[in-house]
Amino acid sequence: MISTINNIRLTQTVKGAGCAAKLAPGDLDRALCGLDLPVDDNLLVGLEQADDAGVYKISDDLALVQTIDFFPPMVDDPYAFGQIAAANALSDIYAMGGIPKTAMNVVAFPAKTMDISILRLIIEGGLNKMREAGVVLVGGHTVEDSELKYGLSVTGFIHPDRILTKRCLLAGDCLVLTKPVGTGIISTAIKAGLAGQAIIDTVTRNMATLNRDAASIMLGFTVHACTDITGFGFLGHLAEMVVYSGCGVRIKAANVPLYPESLEWAAMGLIPAGTYNNRSFRGAFVDFDMNVSQKVQDLLFDPQTSGGLLIAVAAREADMLVAALHANGVESAAIVGEVVAEPAERIIVE
Amino acid sequence: MGIELDCRGMECPAPVLQVRNALEKDASDTITILVDNEAARQNVSRFLEYQNYRVDSERCGSDYRVAGTRGEGVGTPETAASVPVIGERQVGNKKIMVLITSVHMGHGDDSLGDMLMFNYIKTLKEMRPYLWRVMFVNSGVSFTAEGSEAVPVLQELASAGVGIFACGACLAYFHILDKIQVGQVTNMLEIVTSMQHADSVVTV
Repeated sequence: MISTINNIRLTQTVKGAGCAAKLAPGDLDRALCGLDLPVDDNLLVGLEQADDAGVYKISDDLALVQTIDFFPPMVDDPYAFGQIAAANALSDIYAMGGIPKTAMNVVAFPAKTMDISILRLIIEGGLNKMREAGVVLVGGHTVEDSELKYGLSVTGFIHPDRILTKRCLLAGDCLVLTKPVGTGIISTAIKAGLAGQAIIDTVTRNMATLNRDAASIMLGFTVHACTDITGFGFLGHLAEMVVYSGCGVRIKAANVPLYPESLEWAAMGLIPAGTYNNRSFRGAFVDFDMNVSQKVQDLLFDPQTSGGLLIAVAAREADMLVAALHANGVESAAIVGEVVAEPAERIIVE
Repeated sequence: MGIELDCRGMECPAPVLQVRNALEKDASDTITILVDNEAARQNVSRFLEYQNYRVDSERCGSDYRVAGTRGEGVGTPETAASVPVIGERQVGNKKIMVLITSVHMGHGDDSLGDMLMFNYIKTLKEMRPYLWRVMFVNSGVSFTAEGSEAVPVLQELASAGVGIFACGACLAYFHILDKIQVGQVTNMLEIVTSMQHADSVVTV
């Protein structure tokens, strides 16, 4: 793999890394709160009930599902960055239960300081994932900027009656997470030059893995709600599910798949600012048991790039879902907790 | 004399790296760092605690002053002086990978081998800080699964930062893929690259 071109380490050229660069969630709410939005009966999922992607109904059996995601590099390898950014953008479509069809590149490129061959490699990485997803590139938009950013705007198809939102948790459901958490802390360690090649390779491979297989397996089970874990972290995205559904959840911290290396780096303070933002925004919903260490708490709020799907599945099918995920290469999938009626709108981590 | 660092205007992880570099040059018992954002304040505090400093931080206008002290009278563990400044895994670049290929240790009597292997796993913690990864293949994967008395021992290693990995194909072969209690499911590619990146590989 080409790790550097002209000795440029991509992660050194930007302030924030990957989804850790997301605007703090509280700030976004303040910007959007109370805005007068256009109304259309065919808009099934829009900004007012913020979900992974928007859904617009075309006919009784077809709706468009649309999303956009772009961010600064979280790895130094341009091709891998392209793959990860594309996998991350496509993930929102999968999390809704949709099938991605077309994509457009979104690029901010520092042409004065970076060789254009780097952009070519990034886009090649993106195309590699689009091909794997069966998605065609229909165009894109590139601006010159002081910092590199790349991502996709993606459009997919979905049946209007089979949309998986964040809001339909049912008491008794089991929660299944399909990828390990810790990419924000590991990206920070990569930026700090402390991460060895083995963990860089592992985390890069996982971030570049499409959530397509996990999603297609999930659709064969009784799934009530789904989201993908990205910038708000595991507990941040879970808090959205809890708030929108009115249910509570109990999480078994020891069952949440995570990168073991990230624990030590969390203890060392290699934690992206996004982790603290997520915690201050959603921490009030979470009760940690005393046995859950500080570093594990940090990891559960760690902003993820191209994280896994978080699936609420009927309890009787949970083991079968996990077995099917394991058997199809989604090796980290695990049951991480359960949905409870009481206490409502609380996340208990034990 | 203590160290004083001005890390204002720096984004994470730069303040932590500045502190680390300063302590590598001079393992001072007192250090004061000025930072200008909450994330940097918490990260620097965590790093100092990780290095066995007692940490106090206070707000100074829009900035924060983080002070770390260690040495006599501040409750520093006796081993503090020998604690490496950076993560143990980077010290001396020595990384040991242990590959456990069976439930038995050695050949001869299998029940003796069972006992020896469990004892070996219990004693592995003595290999820290150089123990990097423990990977299980073939029947060895059963140590990571429900019902094995090695599970709590391995959990302790994992929480100390040691990577625990069980071969996915092996777990599937023994029908215990859904019974794994500790560590991550892995594959041959990761086992091979781990061998490549480790400084030494111990096969049991």
